[in-house]
Amino acid sequence: MSRAINIGVWTGVFGLFIIVLFGGQSVLAAGLICGLLTGLLGGARTEGETMQAGVRDGLIAAAVAGVILIVSNVLRNIIITPLVGQNVPSTAEVLSFGIAGAAITMVLGAALGAAHFLPGRRSSYATWGILGLVILIYPFLDYSIQLGWLGIVITGLIFILLALGLNIVVGYAGLLDLGYAAFFAIGAYTAAFLSSSYIGDQLNFANPRVSFWLVIFIAAAMAGLFGLILGAPTLPLRGDYLAIVTLGFGEIVPIVFRNLDTFGITIFGHEFIKTFNLTGGELGISPIDPPKLPGLDFANRSDQRPWYFLLVLIILFSIFLINRLRRSRLGRAWMAMREDELAASSMGINIVRTKLLAFAMGASFSGFGGAYFGAFVGGAFPSAFDFSVSVIVLCMVILGGLGNIPGVIVGGLIIELSDRLFLPQITLLLQSIAQHNANNPSLSGLQRFDPTLYRTGLFGLVLVLMMQLRPEGLLPNARRKLELHAAQDSPAEAAQGRTDLYDVEAEAAGS
Amino acid sequence: MAQTVATPVVPIARRRNWSSLIVGLLLLLVFSPLIVSIATKIVHNPLLLLGQLKVGLVNGAIIAIIALGYTLVYGIIELINFAHGDVYMLGAFTTLILLSLLNIGTTTPWIIRGPVLLLILAIVMAVCGGINVGIERFAYRRLRNAPRLAPLISAIGVSFVLQNVGLVLGGVPVFEGDYWALVALVAPVVVIALAMVLARRFAAGAERKMPGWGWLILIVVAASLAVAGFNLVHHGLQSAVPLTLGDNVMGETAPGPKNVPEVIASVSAKPLLETPFRLTWKDLMVLVMCGILMSSLYLFVQRTKVGKAMRATAQDRDAARLMGINVDATIALAFLLGGALGGAAGMIVGMYSNSAVFVMGFTAGLRAFTSAVLGGIGNIAGSMLGGLLIGLISALSDQYIETRWTNAVVFGILVIILVFRPSGLLGEDVGQKA
Repeated sequence: MSRAINIGVWTGVFGLFIIVLFGGQSVLAAGLICGLLTGLLGGARTEGETMQAGVRDGLIAAAVAGVILIVSNVLRNIIITPLVGQNVPSTAEVLSFGIAGAAITMVLGAALGAAHFLPGRRSSYATWGILGLVILIYPFLDYSIQLGWLGIVITGLIFILLALGLNIVVGYAGLLDLGYAAFFAIGAYTAAFLSSSYIGDQLNFANPRVSFWLVIFIAAAMAGLFGLILGAPTLPLRGDYLAIVTLGFGEIVPIVFRNLDTFGITIFGHEFIKTFNLTGGELGISPIDPPKLPGLDFANRSDQRPWYFLLVLIILFSIFLINRLRRSRLGRAWMAMREDELAASSMGINIVRTKLLAFAMGASFSGFGGAYFGAFVGGAFPSAFDFSVSVIVLCMVILGGLGNIPGVIVGGLIIELSDRLFLPQITLLLQSIAQHNANNPSLSGLQRFDPTLYRTGLFGLVLVLMMQLRPEGLLPNARRKLELHAAQDSPAEAAQGRTDLYDVEAEAAGS
Repeated sequence: MAQTVATPVVPIARRRNWSSLIVGLLLLLVFSPLIVSIATKIVHNPLLLLGQLKVGLVNGAIIAIIALGYTLVYGIIELINFAHGDVYMLGAFTTLILLSLLNIGTTTPWIIRGPVLLLILAIVMAVCGGINVGIERFAYRRLRNAPRLAPLISAIGVSFVLQNVGLVLGGVPVFEGDYWALVALVAPVVVIALAMVLARRFAAGAERKMPGWGWLILIVVAASLAVAGFNLVHHGLQSAVPLTLGDNVMGETAPGPKNVPEVIASVSAKPLLETPFRLTWKDLMVLVMCGILMSSLYLFVQRTKVGKAMRATAQDRDAARLMGINVDATIALAFLLGGALGGAAGMIVGMYSNSAVFVMGFTAGLRAFTSAVLGGIGNIAGSMLGGLLIGLISALSDQYIETRWTNAVVFGILVIILVFRPSGLLGEDVGQKA
């Protein structure tokens, strides 16, 4: 009971944060998010309780959050909206949207709370079903209330795809890859070379343009190949040396793409390859062809829903693939190797081959994501692939929980949304407050404060704090709530705090 | 009997690594046109080569000083202190702030300039050493027995945090000749230090009972007190005796590069030696300072008792502890020395190139790490040699390839060394420990 109220208050505060930042009709989106959070957290299973208790706890948490949503929507429109200089909507509109948001929260909270208490597997089927429904509804909601989050969510999902790939390398195989952005860049540039007219324009011929559906796999293969080339001589080295080699590689690749704008080979005055602009230098290569599918329009920039659904499908397939991989002979070999390399090799695991496979597979995920990213933003630019990208992806994996897929997704959502949605929006809000109150000295000073400048510091802080306080990540046990086989696990094990960075037993228990 | 116990050990290092060999040959083949073209350029103008060698020597000396910080720490706890490059950046920023507040420039007479510069050097070294010790205390110590990746990830995090500290510093207005600001900065530090000494005197042992986070909170409180005190003292004094202030050295934007005031006559002044070397006073300053720092560190580690304790801890931490060495203190000392050297390098660079920017630590740190690896990480003489070599190589690459490719060349060298000879030029075989 008090736990449910607690959860309701905290999710409500999060909803307040969203409403204050975005205003307008964002209360509906806040309702969706709060409903998910209260339902998943508030209705969590406790021994010996019934479905009614689940619905009750979910409803209580959601009701508390809903009240906070309504109040904060009103307050936002009274206090902040005039400060920013937006039009204040009518009271009825404000109230009705607030109530609609609260209703969404309560329906979701109750439904998810009830789903927790269905017997056996049906519980997880119901939970997944509701989650799936939310994922399905979200872009239509976004589109209809002009929220404008979709593009950011898509980029975030691409990064989650990267994080899933990096999770294979760091989480399963225990290899620290600090040059992950390099493979991302290789994927994007592969797409740029193959499915744009760029090369043909430079060399004056009509180059064949490969279809997107083929290019993403070529890009994945290309990145995997580079992973093999880099990994083969390096992987026998000790762990931190590998980290540094990948870091060096991650630095070299963007430099190469940036500097190959005058590419040519001249020896003793004889031009073997005539100098030309291979990579477009700082400006990069654009545009890249979008995918083509009958009935869907990927080229329309104002409606990105096809991109979203395609990406959700890709991510679902990747999760399936990674789950199968983890339980395969190879996946178990990764975990054994990560725990104790010597013991694993004594048991007959070919260490170099196993490492190399993990490395190449992680790299090809990155390449795949890179090609998708290139097609989505319509170009490949060297500045999009610097070291901070590698660190952000690493941050997602660490924050969510090494080696745990739901954890990685949650960590990815938190990092990406705060980086691309909340921080820029805070800046925007502060700047518009400052602009509309230029004659108020205490408010106009806000113009100079730009939180987006300090984003890397935020990630750094996350990395340090996570390593100090919770090296196993935010959601080491999240599978207990989200995964299919959670029901069989003993609560005693869930209560036991795990402090190891890697834990084979927990992995085995979860799978 | 003994023969049945001894299993034939295949030395891993001796096994032929065919993939490395093939990659090496391929690299040679790909870069052969480049090598040929560089050789022809050198033959055409050998004097230019001499000039570039001097540039390389000067830059290399600075890189070597930074590299020593990596090597000292790695030698003892086998951790790549990723944040070291950013400690160096903070050294440059501290120098910039102190030089500006004191309004030291080329016009100040040497009788004042010399001692003040030495004082600033001491302060910068103390500050950066202190920062490095703090990093060890709060970000690494708890993870000493954790899996290898944990402290490395923590170090990357600290590096980013420090970079942002530099960014914040870059947004704080600092005016030339603002003596009151200096007084206001020093006063809280003195007060806090006095309070700590008094606390030690009257409540001895209390600090040992305090948890690590207690210290962190204490530091945060002290820092906020210092900021409040700064505002109070600064504005109070400024209204009492106003100063005529110069420019804001931090410039318009926080991320932009800052101008470090010039304290030694620049290139345009009469050089010490004319062409082909064109050795300026600045070059001489860098070489002399780096020489003194390097040799004193070498003597410290090789000749003093504490240095011996450091070497012992590096060899075997547990055995050193059994011999009565305070291992925690020795590790902290390694961080202190490394940070102090990094800070000194920051000051030297600030005075040499007259600019500081918050991202300077990342690239410099990677170059320094490369040279530490090149010389054999953990080996002090090796790091010095590696630093000089990397300095020379990047100077040559600046001249004969292109400046924008230099970073790629340096990182390429890093990758190649780690692949073909991970123990470096002077290091002993580090083995294949995971």
